[in-house]
Amino acid sequence: MSEMWINMGPQHPMTHGLWNLRVHIDGERILDVDPEMGYLHRGIEKISEDRHYNEVITLMDRTCYVAGMAWEHLYVQAAEQALGVQPPERADWIRMMSDEFQRLASHIMWYAAFVQDLGLMSPFLYGMRDRDLILDLFQSYTGGRLTYEYMRVGGVRNDLPEGFTGRARQVLDWMEPRLVEYDRLCMGSDIFRRRCDDLGVLKADECVRLGVTGPMLRSAGSKRDIRKDRPYSRYAQVEFDVATADSADVTGRYLVRMEEMRQSIRIVRQALDWLDSHPGPVLADRLPRWLGAPYAPIGREAYLLKRNYPKGVGLSAVEEPHGEACAYVVNEGGEHPYRVKFRSPVFANLSAAKSYLVGYHVADIPPIMGSVDVCVGEVDR
Amino acid sequence: MAITTLWDAAYTLATGLLWLVGRIIPPLAGPLANGDLIWGLSALVFGAILLGASMINTIMLIWFERKLLGRFMDRRGAMHVGYAGLLQNFADGLKLFRKNTFKPREADNLGFYSGPTAYMVTSLLMFGVLPISSGWSDGSLPLSMLLALVIFSFAPLFIFISAWSSNNKYSLMGGMRSAAQMIAYEVPILLAVVAVVLVSGSFDLNTIVAEQQNYWFWGPLLLAMLVFSIGMLAEMERIPFDLPEAEAELVEGWNTEYGGMLFAYFMLADYLRALAGSILIVLLFLGGWTLPTYVPSILTSFPLAGIFWFLLKTYAVFGVFVWVRASLPRVRTDQLLRIGWMRMIPLSLVAVLLAAALVLVKCLPVFGCIPSMGG
Repeated sequence: MSEMWINMGPQHPMTHGLWNLRVHIDGERILDVDPEMGYLHRGIEKISEDRHYNEVITLMDRTCYVAGMAWEHLYVQAAEQALGVQPPERADWIRMMSDEFQRLASHIMWYAAFVQDLGLMSPFLYGMRDRDLILDLFQSYTGGRLTYEYMRVGGVRNDLPEGFTGRARQVLDWMEPRLVEYDRLCMGSDIFRRRCDDLGVLKADECVRLGVTGPMLRSAGSKRDIRKDRPYSRYAQVEFDVATADSADVTGRYLVRMEEMRQSIRIVRQALDWLDSHPGPVLADRLPRWLGAPYAPIGREAYLLKRNYPKGVGLSAVEEPHGEACAYVVNEGGEHPYRVKFRSPVFANLSAAKSYLVGYHVADIPPIMGSVDVCVGEVDR
Repeated sequence: MAITTLWDAAYTLATGLLWLVGRIIPPLAGPLANGDLIWGLSALVFGAILLGASMINTIMLIWFERKLLGRFMDRRGAMHVGYAGLLQNFADGLKLFRKNTFKPREADNLGFYSGPTAYMVTSLLMFGVLPISSGWSDGSLPLSMLLALVIFSFAPLFIFISAWSSNNKYSLMGGMRSAAQMIAYEVPILLAVVAVVLVSGSFDLNTIVAEQQNYWFWGPLLLAMLVFSIGMLAEMERIPFDLPEAEAELVEGWNTEYGGMLFAYFMLADYLRALAGSILIVLLFLGGWTLPTYVPSILTSFPLAGIFWFLLKTYAVFGVFVWVRASLPRVRTDQLLRIGWMRMIPLSLVAVLLAAALVLVKCLPVFGCIPSMGG
C-alpha cells in the first residue's frame, strides 16, 4: 500500500462531532495530518450581537454541549464586568458548584467516549449511567439536563430546591467508588497501558507555544490552572489541588482527568457545606432595568439606553473542562453587547494536532484524539 | 430400523417422502423407488437439517451475546421483541432483508457481490464436518478436523476480495489487517491442533472426542488450549483482536461499504465462525458431547443428552469470549502481530513438545490413560 490521504470525518466514529481530520498515511504510519474545522459553525459570536445580554446565555449552552454550565459562567462573568453588575455571594457559590458538577459530568462523558475509542465497551455504559445522576441533579434545579439556561447576568435564575444538598451528597458518595472502578478498568489493564503509554506526546513548552491548555498542558507537568492562578468566582475560598502528570502522553491526560474528577468532588463538597449554612438572594437587585425585560426596547427608549447607559468591557477566563476558555464582551451602551468574542480551548488543542499525531499509527488516532477531548460545538462556535 | 444417527433420520425422511409421492401419484411409484434417488434426497434433507441447526444456533448465539453483554454492561440487552428479546434478531434480520442493497459506483461488481456470498457459504460449509453429538455425522471423514480448519482459513481471502473490490480506503486497510491477522494466527492454531492430534492419534473429530473418555484434553493440554482459544479469538475478529473492523478508526473496516442483506451475510458469517470456533474448542479440549464417566448416568441417558451437553459447553465457551469482549480494550495492529509471531508461535511449539512428552509417558498420575494408548 503506497502513501495516501484519507479523510477521517466529517462523519467518522473517531471525530465525536463534525470535523474532518485529513490524514496522510504510509501503510499504517501517519506522515501528516490536517485538521479541518468549521462544519458546525453557527455564528454564535455574531448572533450574540443581536440578542439581549441574558438571551446570549441560551447560546452558551449550545457552545459546548457537554459543558454548558462552564460556558454560561464564562459569559455571565464577562457580561457582569462589562455592565458593572455584582452577583450575590450565594449565586457565585452555586455557579462554582455547577461548574464543578459540570466538570465531573464532562470528564465522565470524556471517559466513556475515550474508552469506547479503545474498544472497551462496558465502561462506556458505566460512564453514561453515572453521568445521568449528575444530569438528574442539574434537572432538579435548572429544569434542563443539557441546556440549562440557568445563570443570569447578576446571579442565577433560581435558588436550589429543598433537599438539594442532601441529594447531591448522595450522588457524590456514589461517584467516589465509581471513580476507583473506572481506574481499575483502565490502569489495571495491560492492554490499556500498552495502547496509551508514550502516545501522542506533547511537551509543556510545545503546549505553551501552540496555545494548548487544560488537562493536556497539565499532563506535561505544568501546574497552570486558572482556578488557582487567577481565582474567579469563589475558587480562592475552597481547597483543592491542581492535578498534574509528567508523562505528557495519553496516559498522563487520563490520569490528570481522573484526578480532576476527584478534586471536583472535593470542591463540590465544600460548596455544598457553604450553601447549607448561607441562605440568601441569588440574583442581584440592582440590575439594568431592561435585563429582565420581556421585550426589546425600541424607538426613543432604545436610543436613550444606548446614549445613557455606562459603557465598558468585560473579560473573563474560566478553567473549562477542556481547557482555558476566555470571553470578551464589549458594552457600547444599549441592551445588546456590541461585540462578543470567545476563546475556545479545544480549537487550540485541535489545531495543534500535527504536533502530537505525526509518527504514530492510524490505530493510535482514536486514543490520541480521544485524550484531547474534542467538543466541536465550542471549536466552531 | 432404529434411528440412531442424523443420517438415518434423513434417510428415513427421504424414503417416506418418496413413498408418499408414490402413493399419491401411482405411476411414479416405480421410478421413485430408486436407490440413488433416495440417497440424493436424503443428502438434501441432511444438508437442510444441518443448515437449519447451524443457522438457528447462530441466531441464538447472537441473542446470547447481546443479553450477556448487556448484563456485563449493567443493562438488559434486547427486551422488546419476543420473550426477553428472543425474536429481536429475527426482526433485525427482516429489517436488513428489506433494505436496499447498494453498491458504490466505482466498486468492482464481481468481487463486491461474490465476496460476502463466498464468505457466508464457506462459513456454513464448516458445519458439514463439525459433529454436534455422536451420530450427527456418519464418521466417514477421517480428516474432518483438518477439513474444518481448511474451510475456516478460507475467510481472509474472501474478506480481502470484498474489501479490495469495495474501492474504499477504509475497507482496503481493514482487509489488509484482516489478512495479516488471520495468517499470523493460523500457524499457532494449527500447531495447537498438532498437540491434540499427537495425543489422540487421529484427525477425525469423532475419534478425538472418543479419546477423551478418561479425561478431557484441556487438563494435560492446557497450554495448547490457551493458544488455540486466543488464536480463535483472533480468527473470529472479536475484541481484543477486532482490528479489521476497529470501528473507532476504520469506521466498519472491510465491510464499510456493505449494507442490507450483504452486510447481514457478513454479520451472520462472523457469528457462524464464532460458533464454529467455540464448537472446535469444545470438540478438541472439552470432551465434545461426553461427560466424565463418574457423573451419574441420569445426566447422560435422557434423549438428546449429547446435543444438550454439547450446546451447553459451546455456549459456555462463547460466554467466555463475550466476557473477554466486555472487559478488554483493543490491541494495536503491530502489537497484535507481535503477539502472534513472537509469543503465540513459541508457546504453541512448547505445547506440541508437552503433548509429545505426554505421548511418551502414555499415562498421567491424576488423569489416567488415553484409551488408544493402552488405557
